[in-house]
Amino acid sequence: MNTKQLLASAILSITLAASAQAQTLTVYSAGPESLINHLAQDFTAQSGIAVNVFQGTTGQVMARLEAEQANPIADILISASWDSAVDLKARGDLLEHVSPNATQVPEYLKDTHYVAQGVSALAMVWNKNSQVTMPKDWSDLAQPAYNNEVTMPDPAQSGAAFQLITGLLASQGEDATWSLMQQLKDNNMIVPGPNARALNPVLQGAKSVVFGAVDYIALGQQADGEAIEVVFPESGTVIAPRPMMIFKSTKSPDQAKAFIDFVLSDAGQERVAQSYLMPARTDIPALRPTLNELNLIQYDEAQYEARREDILQSFRAIFGQSN
Amino acid sequence: MRLSAYTMQGVMLATAGILLLLVGLPLLYIVLQAIFPDVSRGSWAQPFSVFIPTLKDPELAHLLGNTLKLGLAVVLGSALLAIPLGALRALAKVPGAAIWDVVFLVPFLIPPYIAALAWMMSLQNRGYLQQLLGFNADAFLFSFWGIAFVMVLNVFPVVYFAISRTLMAVGGRYASVGRVCGAGPWRSFFRISLPLSIPGMAASLLLVFVLTIEEFGTPATLGAQSGYFVLVTGIHERFSDWPLDIPGASVLSLLLVILAMAAFYFQHWLVTRRSYISVTGKPSAIEQIELGRLKWPVFMLFMLVAFISVAVPILAVLATALSSTLSGGLSWSNLSLRHFEALFNNRAGALQALSTSLGLATGAALLTGILGALIGYLVVRAQVKGHKLLDFLSLLPNAMPGIVVAVGLILAWNQTHWPIQVYNTSAMLLLAYTCLLLPYPVRYASASFRQMSENLEAAARVCGAGFVQMFIRVLLPALSPALIVAMLLVFAIASRELVASLMVAPAGLTTVSTFVFGQFEQGSPGLGMAMSVVAIFSTTFLLLVLTLLGRRRLSGEY
Repeated sequence: MNTKQLLASAILSITLAASAQAQTLTVYSAGPESLINHLAQDFTAQSGIAVNVFQGTTGQVMARLEAEQANPIADILISASWDSAVDLKARGDLLEHVSPNATQVPEYLKDTHYVAQGVSALAMVWNKNSQVTMPKDWSDLAQPAYNNEVTMPDPAQSGAAFQLITGLLASQGEDATWSLMQQLKDNNMIVPGPNARALNPVLQGAKSVVFGAVDYIALGQQADGEAIEVVFPESGTVIAPRPMMIFKSTKSPDQAKAFIDFVLSDAGQERVAQSYLMPARTDIPALRPTLNELNLIQYDEAQYEARREDILQSFRAIFGQSN
Repeated sequence: MRLSAYTMQGVMLATAGILLLLVGLPLLYIVLQAIFPDVSRGSWAQPFSVFIPTLKDPELAHLLGNTLKLGLAVVLGSALLAIPLGALRALAKVPGAAIWDVVFLVPFLIPPYIAALAWMMSLQNRGYLQQLLGFNADAFLFSFWGIAFVMVLNVFPVVYFAISRTLMAVGGRYASVGRVCGAGPWRSFFRISLPLSIPGMAASLLLVFVLTIEEFGTPATLGAQSGYFVLVTGIHERFSDWPLDIPGASVLSLLLVILAMAAFYFQHWLVTRRSYISVTGKPSAIEQIELGRLKWPVFMLFMLVAFISVAVPILAVLATALSSTLSGGLSWSNLSLRHFEALFNNRAGALQALSTSLGLATGAALLTGILGALIGYLVVRAQVKGHKLLDFLSLLPNAMPGIVVAVGLILAWNQTHWPIQVYNTSAMLLLAYTCLLLPYPVRYASASFRQMSENLEAAARVCGAGFVQMFIRVLLPALSPALIVAMLLVFAIASRELVASLMVAPAGLTTVSTFVFGQFEQGSPGLGMAMSVVAIFSTTFLLLVLTLLGRRRLSGEY
């Protein structure tokens, strides 16, 4: 093969890739990866529409969207943070779509422009082989027994961890929450990054408990044989619904709507259940404790979202880089 | 002949065009973005408005300080570790010398982020070390010195090979002259061999410095937990965590480029300031010292370094990949092949990730090979205008860290005004790899052209061959042994590149490295490590092919 042929084939493959873009859906998803891969495969098998997935943490996904603002790529976003959907709707970036399959989704998990795919809850994850006893409530982890044994996902990188902080601020009060955080810091809790970064050290036993882990990853690993226990604290926890939405900029609105409808179909919601999330539809059985079985903190989330920067600043002030 | 000169000028212009597109464009966009914060929205307003605040930001001083500190520590560590080893290897009869040369290439082939994860699994609290021996090095690992330690183990072979080769070249003939003139072995070493090998040593240490300040995987893996952040992690955070700070990321990128360039210019100055022609002389048989009673202690030293830098990380990767669950720890009942089964059952698109990486790495090797051959020829042989620019552009990526290339490519191609869409296609990855790895084939090719006689070309021309025919039929075959080695190197590095891949991979595409990284982020370390095993062993296999080819080349094909 000579240079010309090579260049020609390179150019051909680039243009092919570019033209293929028009007939496919692009979904940006904040996990779980296996779920979105299954959903994409099932949808393609059913409809013949190919789906390209970009999988990352909520922070990475939002960053990519922002970087691509001038030249939007994504048709659909499945975020792990409800507030991102509220934000994007307020900016006028979303396409209205009320799925016919959403009738069994509770009111507070849907809107005209977005709807939950599934719901996770925040929990403590405890390594059964560890030297410490199983904690019962958030505040236990500030006890001396848990010194050096606790990790927490970074609320700046994990939407769910941010939600937990706001839930605690609402239920326990501002002062009590920040003083708990300070105690945790004094107890040498580490904040290594997004969710799995906080969980991985607990699996091998480097640390013993995660403060505020997204439950479905841990439930999946438990089912996979890891010696861990997912503990929902007595004083209550928060849920993190995962909203799906379609961008106004999409070139294939009908296919995008079909994808949302598919995720909310029986088959789609069963896939959601298999990844240990609570399905958004209440009529699809879950493989895990559901909303009615959890003690949830009820509060006005929107009020806290407006204070996002402030809250993250206070968090950073406690756990900031201080080496 | 006139026609041929025109052809040559045409080839030269085309090559320069490709280089500008490949290397110049990303850098240009970074500069523009750093100066004009709103340039992506088509506005030239408020030039330098972000520059000053970013430069004044105390966090920047902190990041810059951390980067320099880490770079210096790794240089120091590599010098302490590799200079004695390299000197011993060159000047003394070390048992198993040839084997050590192969073994010390392996740390280079373990992707740094995988090595960092492996060290984490080994040394952290209740890690493999504690499970085996009852103690851990958690506090050490998650500290500045821990990060430096892991990075030294990754890069010290650069210094080891530079030292041992330089000393072999100068230590042979020149030291013999010294000995003949009556100097003892120690005196001839300190007065002749050592001073003559200083440029080679310095050059390799500067390369270590540049590699360290550019490295993303290790600080990203270990730094978060120890609170140690550097420029590269700062750029990555600004560019991939919400809310974005693209102008800030661009300013930091420019700083990093300037740092790397400064290091390269310093190196260039050191090497060219005086003539050290000794190094270009033919390798001569060197009279190596008998170690006598020190033979086995020296052997043990090599053994120890190999164990720590090669065996420990690879064993930790294997242990994790072969453990059914992480919480199960090291026990026979926990031994399982299920992660490999999952891998070969294509869980999470593992097989596509493998084939994507192989395909892209092959593409990058071919592209850089062709470009390298052309550029090498134009720079060394052709009397055409602008060959200096060509030389500069083709070696510029040396001073462009992967993350900077990625940032530049995104800024450049993520625009609506291009006639074809490159952003969000696999072409982005190909562009990134080609840009980053171009210097390898260019160096190998120009070195080869310098050794080749011009008579070959003259003969081809006399026989009536045009430039293209002469290049393909005469020069390329003569060049191929060197070029193939360089292309294999490109292949090996491209197939595991992490940071650019993370940032520019289009939706729906995973490479080996983003797969491994993603599995850790998704909470499936076992699957990630199984993939690492496959990746490391396949590149090591390549290394063996590479050294065999290298041997054949040295034994005199032309």
